[in-house]
Amino acid sequence: MNDLGRRLARIAFDERGADILLMMAENQGNVGPVIISKGQDPGDARIDVPYQLVAILTNLLPFIGKAKVAILCRRCDEKALIELAKRGIVDDASMVRIGLACSKEQIQACRCSDCVPSKVDIGEAAEPCPEDALAIELGSMTIEQRAAFWMRQFRKCNKCFGCTLNCPVCFCDDCVLEERTYTPKEGIPPELAFHLIRSFHLADKCVECGECERSCPVDIPLLTLRKMVNRDMKNMFDYGSGDAEKKSPLLTTLDDQPLEDDGHAC
Amino acid sequence: MHVDHVLTTCPYCGTGCRFYLQVVDGRLVGVVPCKTDEISQGKLCIKGYNAHAFVQHPDRLTHPMVREDGQLRKATWDEALDKVVSEIKRITAEHGPDSVIVLASAKCTNEENYLFQKLARAAIGTNNVDHCARLCHASTVAGLLMSFGSGAMTNTIPEFEDADCVLVTGSNTLEAHPLIGARILRAQDKGAKIVVVDPRDTPLSRIAYSSIRQKPGTDIAWINGMIKIIIDEGLHDEGFIKDHTSGFEDLKRIVQPYTPERVEEITSIPKERLIDAARTYASAERAMIAYAMGVTQHTNGTNIVRALANLAMVTGNVGRESTGVNPLRGQCNVQGACDAGGLPDLFPGYQKVEDADARKKFEAAWGKPLPPNKGTTLTCAFKDALIGKVKAMIIFGENPMLSDPDIAHVEEAIKELEFLAVTEIFPTATTKLAHVVLAGACYAEKDGTFTSTDRAIRPVHKAIDPPGEARPDWQIACELGRRLGASGFDFSSPSEIMDEMARLAPPYGGISHARADREVLRWPCPSKDHKGTPVLHVGGFKIGKGVLVPVDHAPPAEQTSEEYPFILTTGRNLFQFHTGTMTRRSPKLEREAPEPYVEVNTTDAKRLGISDGGRVRVSSRRGEISLKARVTGWIMPGVIFIPFHYAEAAANRLTNPALDPVAKIPEFKVCAAQLEKA
Ligand code: SF4
Ligand code: SF4
Ligand code: SF4
Repeated sequence: MNDLGRRLARIAFDERGADILLMMAENQGNVGPVIISKGQDPGDARIDVPYQLVAILTNLLPFIGKAKVAILCRRCDEKALIELAKRGIVDDASMVRIGLACSKEQIQACRCSDCVPSKVDIGEAAEPCPEDALAIELGSMTIEQRAAFWMRQFRKCNKCFGCTLNCPVCFCDDCVLEERTYTPKEGIPPELAFHLIRSFHLADKCVECGECERSCPVDIPLLTLRKMVNRDMKNMFDYGSGDAEKKSPLLTTLDDQPLEDDGHAC
Repeated sequence: MHVDHVLTTCPYCGTGCRFYLQVVDGRLVGVVPCKTDEISQGKLCIKGYNAHAFVQHPDRLTHPMVREDGQLRKATWDEALDKVVSEIKRITAEHGPDSVIVLASAKCTNEENYLFQKLARAAIGTNNVDHCARLCHASTVAGLLMSFGSGAMTNTIPEFEDADCVLVTGSNTLEAHPLIGARILRAQDKGAKIVVVDPRDTPLSRIAYSSIRQKPGTDIAWINGMIKIIIDEGLHDEGFIKDHTSGFEDLKRIVQPYTPERVEEITSIPKERLIDAARTYASAERAMIAYAMGVTQHTNGTNIVRALANLAMVTGNVGRESTGVNPLRGQCNVQGACDAGGLPDLFPGYQKVEDADARKKFEAAWGKPLPPNKGTTLTCAFKDALIGKVKAMIIFGENPMLSDPDIAHVEEAIKELEFLAVTEIFPTATTKLAHVVLAGACYAEKDGTFTSTDRAIRPVHKAIDPPGEARPDWQIACELGRRLGASGFDFSSPSEIMDEMARLAPPYGGISHARADREVLRWPCPSKDHKGTPVLHVGGFKIGKGVLVPVDHAPPAEQTSEEYPFILTTGRNLFQFHTGTMTRRSPKLEREAPEPYVEVNTTDAKRLGISDGGRVRVSSRRGEISLKARVTGWIMPGVIFIPFHYAEAAANRLTNPALDPVAKIPEFKVCAAQLEKA
């Protein structure tokens, strides 16, 4: 274990009383996710390879039971946990978040405008990156040109489901993209509906972590798409994901009254 | 609760993606792609993401079985192993060791395949060992060995994205090798021109720069046509031809008659398209050729491979980055099964069994005299079984009852055997006929290595225990070897087996498990301080000069007739894998492609009154199946396509077992068929 690992373990177990810690570590030259309990040596801790730990955690939730989980948490992960907590998927209060400030390089790669966690435990806060160059370019195109751009991109899709499987806020047990109602075609590429449904289904949840784009084997600029939808959500409803106080406008009745139901069906 | 993330290699296609298996208290719950892996870069296809799903399926075989009074019953390991050994001893005593054949497996590790061939050669005393590479890339190995002196992919997967042109033929890359397809698309995004030649439109061809449809079985004609255009227009690389090849004058002569007009007549490729493809390929600074079963599974497959090698050599596209001739191997370890000597004519590391020096070396290492003659191939073994030359078969992890051509004939042959032992993870059509069934461990339950299609040694790590009493195949092979009285089967771990293989197979000389874990090593890697060889033939061919082998077009073995007017071709889809033993037990994959179907061209369908989704009957000279029609413009008129994954409508009831004379690969890609509304 390296110094970083020792520090993470100390914060998680000694200072904040967690039972298990989810982080990244290097073993034999490769970096991957690890879950350890106190006293276990996970190999050398690493923070420079962006695994989506919240998505990895949600896959394990049915098995975790009452254990108190500490998780290495970037700003986007923090927001994802808030969205999951709002829908009753995780109990945010029982989790230990170890705040990770992303590096300059990572912020550039994610074109991230909200990059500092509420409490920085690891790393140093760096300047946000305000613009997504491709979003600006697309914004200056005609609707037809923009549609043509996305059609060309979506035709590369080979339906790996990486964008949903690795997304921290994709949590439905039965994914609508996997059944045949909206995507009846067998084979690839899937219908345009595949991407549009995903796009809308995440409109009030996406925290712009960029994992969908990083997971996409055919380099579809999915994060740019997310940023453009999120911008519309902001402009139209003054809503941004990851705000614990605000209810999703999509869960509001048409006479502007918030729904009483917690709405964790979606 | 204990959670582990165990890094291992995908058990499906030969791309060799790596991922972490998520294990909670001995249960596989998910897959996380490995972001630091050079090949997969944190991405997978849908099969990779579901690679945990079949492993703990209730259908898994959990204990050995022996046949008694016609029924398979549960047995102890001792009983089952002793039964195999006594039957093999009895049969070899009566009919000699060549009456036995061992089938190795492209799904097993390098270490296991090394043991399977050692079992055949050193313990049983026969070179009768083969595996399903015979059915996919035997023609590659034979063809490229002759042209280049090495039968494997010349370049590597990451190089695709930096090519200026990629010529893809006979490969539905985005479905069969999704992550390689993705690299090719990345090249296109960076400005490369992708040319796809295939009788079917594929997801890749539909977005490629040029998509060309040829009549199945006419490949040499269009390849020779391209070479002629290239030479006539002076686009060939004279320097490379002079320095690095032999036979150019003969090649020039043989391609002369392949004018664009004549090629159009044979292949139905419009001549402008052919001319454009030739210019695009030849004028690219770095051009790669990628191909798969659409090239190899023909009676002249070996010659098509040589023709592609000619095309690469006349344009100087060998021996540099992002060039070369790149056969895409279909299974996780079909490359390794060949490397490890799971072939009747080759020891590990492609050393010929007929070469006295090679034999001496292995005799010294294994402490036994070894048979000097080549063994029989998988495809011939079934014919030999019918005439009583082969009496016993030991099959490790293969399912010839669905994967081989003309299944009815295979079944007849298997029933003629005096003894059949099968090691498997699930019950299959083949285990049903076995006298002894041994329960094996799957990739998630053992250590070892696979070799990906680009010659990279990819470690496989044990994540969980095998179910019940099932055992890894390497242990089963060791037990059989020991019980047959042979020495040299006392391995206590796969890493020891790799050490022995590294000592005897020069391309693997520098490979060890410890190194493979830390580095991406591509053979040849002759010594412990060697970094591996990404690009083959840099600075010239090891055999001196590359051989330009002149080859001529010949029609497929079976021609269409009035009775069988359609050309039937077979292949895969994205969601299923081979005989479906694993994918059809993975709910998310099965849901995407649950049913067998035949693709029929729109105009043919209209003429025959067939509607999309309607039931049809497809028959050939060998059999008949009934399935759903998928009516599409994506296939040529006169051609139909059936994926071979489905037992309920097995395409291989129809296919032609006619063989390539050199590689003995069957012609899965062309047979004459009839199509009727059911
Ligand atoms: S950026 Fe992509 S992966 Fe991340 S939350 Fe948004 S949709 Fe999900
Ligand atoms: S990750 Fe990319 S290829 Fe995979 S399903 Fe999503 S958009 Fe398609
Ligand atoms: S591309 Fe091949 S190796 Fe990679 S995940 Fe898919 S099936 Fe597995």
